[in-house]
Amino acid sequence: MVYLINLKPKNMENINSGSSNFKLSFHGKGGEYFGIVIVNWLLTIITLGIYYPWAKAAQLKYLYGATALNNDRFAFHGTGKEMFKGFIKAILIFIVIFGVLFLFIRLNMPIVGFILFYLCFIAIVPLAIHGSYRYRMSRTSWRGIRFGYRGDKKELIINFFKWFLLTIVTIGIYGAWMAINLRKYVLGKVRFGDMEFKYDGDGGEFFIINLKGYLLSIITLGIYMFWWQSELFAYYIDNLTVNKGEKKITMKSTATGGDFFGLLIVNMLILIFTLGIGYAWVVTRTMNFIANKIELSGDINLDEIKQSEESYADATGEDLTDMLDIDFIF
Amino acid sequence: MIQTQALFFDGESSKPQSIAVYIDERFEEVVFSLSSIIYKWPVGEISLHIIAGAMEIHHGSEPVQVIKTDDASFISGLKLYMKERGHIGWYQKIIDLGIKAHIAIGLLILGFIIAGYLFVLPKVAEKAVFLIPESYDNEMGSGFYNQFVTFKTIDAEKTEALTLFANQLELANEKDLKFTVIKSDVVNAFALPDGNIIVFTGIIDLMEGYDELAGLLSHEVVHINERHSMKMLCRNLAGYLFLSVALSDVNGVVGIIGDNIHSLQSLSYSRQFEQEADIKGMEILIKNNIDPEGMTRLFQRLQKDYDKLIPEFISSHPVTENRIHYIEKRIKEKQYNEFENEGLKKLFLQVKGLGKHSWDK
Repeated sequence: MVYLINLKPKNMENINSGSSNFKLSFHGKGGEYFGIVIVNWLLTIITLGIYYPWAKAAQLKYLYGATALNNDRFAFHGTGKEMFKGFIKAILIFIVIFGVLFLFIRLNMPIVGFILFYLCFIAIVPLAIHGSYRYRMSRTSWRGIRFGYRGDKKELIINFFKWFLLTIVTIGIYGAWMAINLRKYVLGKVRFGDMEFKYDGDGGEFFIINLKGYLLSIITLGIYMFWWQSELFAYYIDNLTVNKGEKKITMKSTATGGDFFGLLIVNMLILIFTLGIGYAWVVTRTMNFIANKIELSGDINLDEIKQSEESYADATGEDLTDMLDIDFIF
Repeated sequence: MIQTQALFFDGESSKPQSIAVYIDERFEEVVFSLSSIIYKWPVGEISLHIIAGAMEIHHGSEPVQVIKTDDASFISGLKLYMKERGHIGWYQKIIDLGIKAHIAIGLLILGFIIAGYLFVLPKVAEKAVFLIPESYDNEMGSGFYNQFVTFKTIDAEKTEALTLFANQLELANEKDLKFTVIKSDVVNAFALPDGNIIVFTGIIDLMEGYDELAGLLSHEVVHINERHSMKMLCRNLAGYLFLSVALSDVNGVVGIIGDNIHSLQSLSYSRQFEQEADIKGMEILIKNNIDPEGMTRLFQRLQKDYDKLIPEFISSHPVTENRIHYIEKRIKEKQYNEFENEGLKKLFLQVKGLGKHSWDK
């Protein structure tokens, strides 16, 4: 078998754009993913939830393994055991935080207790983001080359507090800048072998997109939400680049508001009419959508990526983000 | 022999290298050679990633080396071989059962969840209430009471009269009761788990006989005696936990404690608890030689006077007609005596703000 770069994009536009010599694709099937979800569900129930980390590992393994760059699959190497250890640590962290709160209440210093409690809680968020990125990236690979995250824990926590404070002081307006700063910092520290990611968004632009989206959604009774969603998606994707020295890969979203309308409405109908059992198809449809709506072009030779990132097995951050319900942005 | 042409990634760079790979069945090894080095991977040490039509064989951890192929006959051949040698785990075997089996499993789980949630859980949760000390009821109730009363006006005279009225009754209460009359047009009354009973002037104004007030009080007392608040809380809590485990939602568990404390405010008892309060409340009336029809009269009046604007007391309670029906049915089954109780009558007028206080004389 001869190795071939996949030059058969699904829509004709790609051929015209010429330089798009990279292709993301998703090969997962709803029926296959359904099997994994259902078996995991059964095992999670039988074990009263203890199986959850293994279930999550299996699901990530499938979704990553079904996603391809130039027809070569990504791989997730994380294990249930790693994530279970992380789960236990994450629970211990919460117990300690609540313990401190109750201790201070017992000592009749509830105000000190609550201040400490909230400070801890705010500090956990960047800690969780840091940990989950380090873990998730080091456990993701393509052609055997690992991703990595090189963020600095202390720097992120200090920044996070700064941004959070500014957001409170400005009654939430700075939230748009905070979101973009966070994305910039975190994605800027992601490595894929010896390639670096870079995110070039701007808080002001992001704020305008959201303000416009919010107002138009109200005026159009929610219909504009799909177009708002497509603008957000484009803002996340179009500003992301992969760099190696002078060379780079740029990304572009081709998803329209109409595309999002089709995706989200059908997803909702599937969930409603299958009482949630159709969740697996919702996930594979969405993954397929995302892979197909991102156009890549650039001049990096994907055959020359060098292994450079170390392995990292502590999944505490991964489990913390789960408990705090923080979405993983990548 | 199981063999194919494949691509090899050495874990150092992303450069694909063509190899010819085969399975040595005698030594149980995956064998291939590359630039005159022969690689032999024992099948026990490899992991197969067969996902959506493509296969990767992973070996090692620092770094991971990968063989990649989408040759279907090689994939199925290797899979069968691994299975025969017992290298395929039980998990993969269940996954390989196919979609029909998976749908059956899904429906089965869904059935169990629904049945468990509807039939098993409420009973278990109610039983669990006995494990919770009563002091917890008291703390919860008085916490809510203090918060509630802060923004309301208490009618001190009517409160006193209502307390005297209740003291005349044998309410079968296990806890000390405390009564409060709130000045408000809202037609409502409710009981808190610590023994606080709050009655709005709006509902008192509608009443015409002391038996109606006695009916209301005995209804509320049953809620306290039977710890209905705590039972509902346990049910909600257990229901939420049950569903979140069943639907593998880990993050929901964290927020639940807070949610439930807040839900106390909008806590409306289930129909079953209301029925229990009606029936046991009626028995209290009979024991006190008060006309049990007082309770039904109160419901009828509440419904008649507020046909369009449904009072809160009715909206959170079972459908009134149905309710009157089952109370009447039980009244007919019972033998009871009723005496006109002058003491209660006088106090009732005071609660309504019509009678004179004894010290006014």
